[in-house]
Amino acid sequence: MNMIEVKSLVKKYDKAKEPSVKGIDFTVKEGEFFAFLGPNGAGKTTTISVLTTTLSKTSGEVKIAGYDVEKEAKCVRENVGIIFQQPSLDPQLSAEENIRFHTCLYGMYSYRPTFKLMPAEYRKRVLDLAEIVGIQDALFKPIKKLSGGMQRKLEIIRSLIHTPSVLFLDEPTQGLDAVSRRNLWEYIDSVRKQYGTTVFLTTHYIDEAEKVDKVCIINNGEIAITGSPEEMKQNLLNQKLILDADDRNNLDRELSAMSLDYKIGNHIIVPYQGISAQEIIAKLKTRLSVLKIEEPSLEDAYIEYLKTGGQIA
Amino acid sequence: MSELVLTRRKKSKLSREINVVVTIMARDITLFFKSPATIIMSLVMPIVMMGMLGGSLAQNMAGGLGFNYKQFMLIGMLVNMLFMTTTMGMSSLVEDHTTDFTQEMMISPVSRYSIIIGKILGSSFGAIIGMFGTVIVGLCMGITLSVSQLLLIIALSPLMCLSAGSLATIIIGVIKNNKTANIAVSLITMPQMFLCGAIIPIGNSHGVLYVISRMMPMTYCLDLVRSVVYAGTPQYNSVVLNNPLVNLIVIITLTVICLVIGTFFFSKSEKNR
Repeated sequence: MNMIEVKSLVKKYDKAKEPSVKGIDFTVKEGEFFAFLGPNGAGKTTTISVLTTTLSKTSGEVKIAGYDVEKEAKCVRENVGIIFQQPSLDPQLSAEENIRFHTCLYGMYSYRPTFKLMPAEYRKRVLDLAEIVGIQDALFKPIKKLSGGMQRKLEIIRSLIHTPSVLFLDEPTQGLDAVSRRNLWEYIDSVRKQYGTTVFLTTHYIDEAEKVDKVCIINNGEIAITGSPEEMKQNLLNQKLILDADDRNNLDRELSAMSLDYKIGNHIIVPYQGISAQEIIAKLKTRLSVLKIEEPSLEDAYIEYLKTGGQIA
Repeated sequence: MSELVLTRRKKSKLSREINVVVTIMARDITLFFKSPATIIMSLVMPIVMMGMLGGSLAQNMAGGLGFNYKQFMLIGMLVNMLFMTTTMGMSSLVEDHTTDFTQEMMISPVSRYSIIIGKILGSSFGAIIGMFGTVIVGLCMGITLSVSQLLLIIALSPLMCLSAGSLATIIIGVIKNNKTANIAVSLITMPQMFLCGAIIPIGNSHGVLYVISRMMPMTYCLDLVRSVVYAGTPQYNSVVLNNPLVNLIVIITLTVICLVIGTFFFSKSEKNR
């Protein structure tokens, strides 16, 4: 089942000369981890805002968990959890009060004026969750006294506490240190595995998208390329073999014979596509002094894509 | 990791929406108690409005009206306090927008009306405190109300606050910064205080001022409260403008209209941030 279906989505802001999102199409399957990448101003946040019912679309069709975002907005909201790019916590309430407010808005509990008066089940879960993400000491402190990282962790607890089918993460780790980032991803991974939550991620940290099932790059409001991180790397960048030999001339001759397009520098760099590294190495008779396979990262592919102005290598 | 999230409980639609109204209202009340400045304002406002402004008017304008001006003004100040403080409370919507907290409310699967009604009732808390403060200041000035009159005013106060908050939502719901919100609060509250009969009788108003006064919900709220307080007294005809039932129907109608328009504007502006 498709949890997110976007058909010909267009969003043009009032007074804007041209649309921010220009008729994009994509689908995200149930349980899929989907990354939506693109440079600043590409249309990522606009798209996520339309998908989460916080922004009205100009035209097109958008369905979340089978519900239309405009005609069945309430059903969509029941099924999604969101972490916005900017924190949306009440700075004057405590961390626990923010969570309590959220659970009551989502109809999970009747409102009680203090934590102690809330049902035991609620109290236990909140304390457990606070311990998992390491904010137990800050739970009853006002939000304005928490660090940016702690606020982000709290937002993640809040966005998951009502068991959403689809979790939207709009640059969720912005401003977090490396340890906090890793902890958050471990937590989100565990929730995904346990509940089959579909995750829609936008991020500037491309390495965070390495583990996703599908990547979609948006540029100038249009979908540029979609595929798995592996497909993306293969489409955008060649893998490279780094070779060298004491008898470099002989190695050069052998590589020329294979009609490979290689470069000679400190070592011999052999980009390859449609052929495996094993096949290349098997054909070489020259004794190698250096042998290294360089796998491009998704970040390499993404940067290459942007450098070439959106032209696939 | 088996207990990471909570299971959602099934509730009826109505009880769920009531819970939302209570939650949003409770948040504003929590914030009221967390803000010493707001508490002090609520206590000082009656002294300024009733003690100073009202006292000065009573000393200089009370002659030749044919009724007890001090009591007339006390009722006016009570209703004005409810309207003014509720409107000021509604301006916190702008702060919620600035901190992006409105996003948290808007993405929740609840009626937009519940959000606005909860917000209005939450904003009313400070207004009710201000109303009691006004009664106490009035008592200090020698103006009394009977217990039954006071109870009737208290019973009507949620309707007054809802009416004030609905009107405020139309304007404040679309404002995006605190400076403009402060101007808007003055623009909403000051004309009402002078044109609706809170401190100046409007029985002889005519022309444009008559039309404006009859378009404002506070005119009918004030008249309804006065009709309750002055019921059975010889001053009733000189003080009360309309039949109480007419006032009640107009208040409810205007409140519903303002609530629908205000909620629509607020939701629309939040959707086009």
